[in-house]
Amino acid sequence: MQRLIRSAVTLVVVIAVVFGLLRQMPIEGYFNNYDKMTPTQIRVGLERHGLNRPYLRALMSFLGNLLKGDLGVSNRYRVGYPINSLIAQKMPISMSIGILALITALALGLPLGVLMARSAISAKRFKAADKAGSAFIAIVESIPFAVYCLFIQIYGTELIRKYIYLPMLFSKENIATWFLPVFSLSLANMAMYAMWMRRYMIDEYSREYTRLARAKGVSEAAISTKHVFRNAIVPLSQYLPTSLVVTLMGSLYVESRYSIPGMGGLLVDSIKRQDNTLVLALVVVYTALSIAGVFIGDIAMAVLDPRIRLTRSQEAR
Amino acid sequence: MDSDSIVEIDGLHVSFRLRGERVHALRGVTLDVKRGESLAIVGESGSGKSVLCKCLMGLLDSNGEITEGTITFDGIELTKIKDEKQWLNIRGSGIAFVMQDPISSLNPLMRVGDQVKEAVLLHQGLSGSEARQAAVNALSDVGIDSAEKRYMQYPHEFSGGMRQRAVIAIALACKPKLIICDEPTTALDVTIQAQILGLIKEMQKKMHLTTIYVTHDLGVVAMIADRVAVMYAGDIIEVGTVREVFKRPAHPYTWALLSSLPQLAPKSGELYSIGGSPPNMANEISGDAFAPRNPYALNIDFVQRPGYYSLSPTHKARTWLLDSRAPRVDPPEGIQKIRRGDGL
Repeated sequence: MQRLIRSAVTLVVVIAVVFGLLRQMPIEGYFNNYDKMTPTQIRVGLERHGLNRPYLRALMSFLGNLLKGDLGVSNRYRVGYPINSLIAQKMPISMSIGILALITALALGLPLGVLMARSAISAKRFKAADKAGSAFIAIVESIPFAVYCLFIQIYGTELIRKYIYLPMLFSKENIATWFLPVFSLSLANMAMYAMWMRRYMIDEYSREYTRLARAKGVSEAAISTKHVFRNAIVPLSQYLPTSLVVTLMGSLYVESRYSIPGMGGLLVDSIKRQDNTLVLALVVVYTALSIAGVFIGDIAMAVLDPRIRLTRSQEAR
Repeated sequence: MDSDSIVEIDGLHVSFRLRGERVHALRGVTLDVKRGESLAIVGESGSGKSVLCKCLMGLLDSNGEITEGTITFDGIELTKIKDEKQWLNIRGSGIAFVMQDPISSLNPLMRVGDQVKEAVLLHQGLSGSEARQAAVNALSDVGIDSAEKRYMQYPHEFSGGMRQRAVIAIALACKPKLIICDEPTTALDVTIQAQILGLIKEMQKKMHLTTIYVTHDLGVVAMIADRVAVMYAGDIIEVGTVREVFKRPAHPYTWALLSSLPQLAPKSGELYSIGGSPPNMANEISGDAFAPRNPYALNIDFVQRPGYYSLSPTHKARTWLLDSRAPRVDPPEGIQKIRRGDGL
């Protein structure tokens, strides 16, 4: 509960700052044909948007509308079109791609980390899986996202074209076109999860309880799944918010590369066209998502680890 | 070798690769453990006590290897085992382990009961609710009250002593023939220590177990063991019944060890401590490993390694002082006091 309130406060602070900054922007951002307007028209327009009110009152009314679920109206991107329905159109695609990318990252990154850790602690002199995995992580982490994303688009499309027809750009109906954007979006998180999973697994392998489990006669496979993995996943859940943000940021680029009609493209366009109200609304949405990520990470940690309590208890030392 | 030994270790050498060097952790350990007895292994840190136990469980760290010698447990030659599967049959059901630190030896994210049940499932051939009941019984057997409720709790809800009881419950739930206790009470305070030792002793009698204690606490040895083996620099330098080793110690290292007991120190004066430090195990040791720290060392101690000299059928020590050609040496004051019977 405390965390929920704290999250809400963070959100309001971010909104207040962005709201204030956007008020410093040229007022063209509120009109679609500013050049041809007379000063009177501009004054009337500003009044209609409530823009000549003092900062605090304007902020309050924006927050009030936000509570009612109203993000306002777009003024340049699509004149007079409610931002709510704009987001409602774009959100589902971005969400599905983002969630698919996160799932892919977890589904491939965690097993890779486990594999690497098991290879790293094995008695073998040459730890092939660990070496190969480290190379993969180093490559993904060191090459800029935009570069390998472009490579994947160009060469990946070519490669797949050898087997099936594949357009270079995204289309919602053609499932095959989902593959490359989701994959490139998941790579950064995949490497991150594999890296930390490996590290935490190795940590847990050296713990006493692992020795006790071995001494009990538990098989190596059961030790890694029942004991080590379970413990290593707890500190890993703190990377959930980070990976969410990485996905959001990545989506800005990926969506424009594959011309996916999603939120990322919308934000870029709205900034380019100085649609102040739309920018504000989108920043609010992105902030809310990031804060939700932190919140979910905390919850996940508490669910996974019985020692962690989210509320301050009386018995705490 | 006689058939009532459960463990027979013969000439065991173990070495570790460490930053390009070979460290000889065990240098020809020979030791028998009799069925049903309780043997204590004492020695300072780094003398190879824990390595010896790990060899018995097949849990040597991956950079260590047995280079020479044999270990026979209950008729099985342990050094020949290559297959991890075969080890799984020995660990737990053959040899169980109670570790030093109860705080970290339980999985923090698993209910204590489930950790006991895991052992039951693996070694007692029970399943489902039967296994659960057996685990609850195992917990109450080691003196944990309201075991049914405790079963559902996590390790952080247990105190240190309770955790060690749970670890013992896990060890016993495996129905082992031999239990190795690696300093089971070092991390506990003194009152709990006595309780845990009492518990282990009681369980040993009830389940006809053989126990090996690894410890550097001579008080614990006196309290619990039948026989004691003294280790120094990867070798057993004296072995005998507790009475023999404590009353008539023969090796200068055992003298020094016993002299450092605070009970033997003069009322006013400093506690005795052994000068120097243990040898670097990465170097080749010639002669008696203790010679450089030994005020009674003979010239031959620096040249040739002594063999075992028997003092009685159960008592032997590895020192040149017992050779018939050696000059007569009087042990230090404290040891003479013990021999006269007014020491400990």
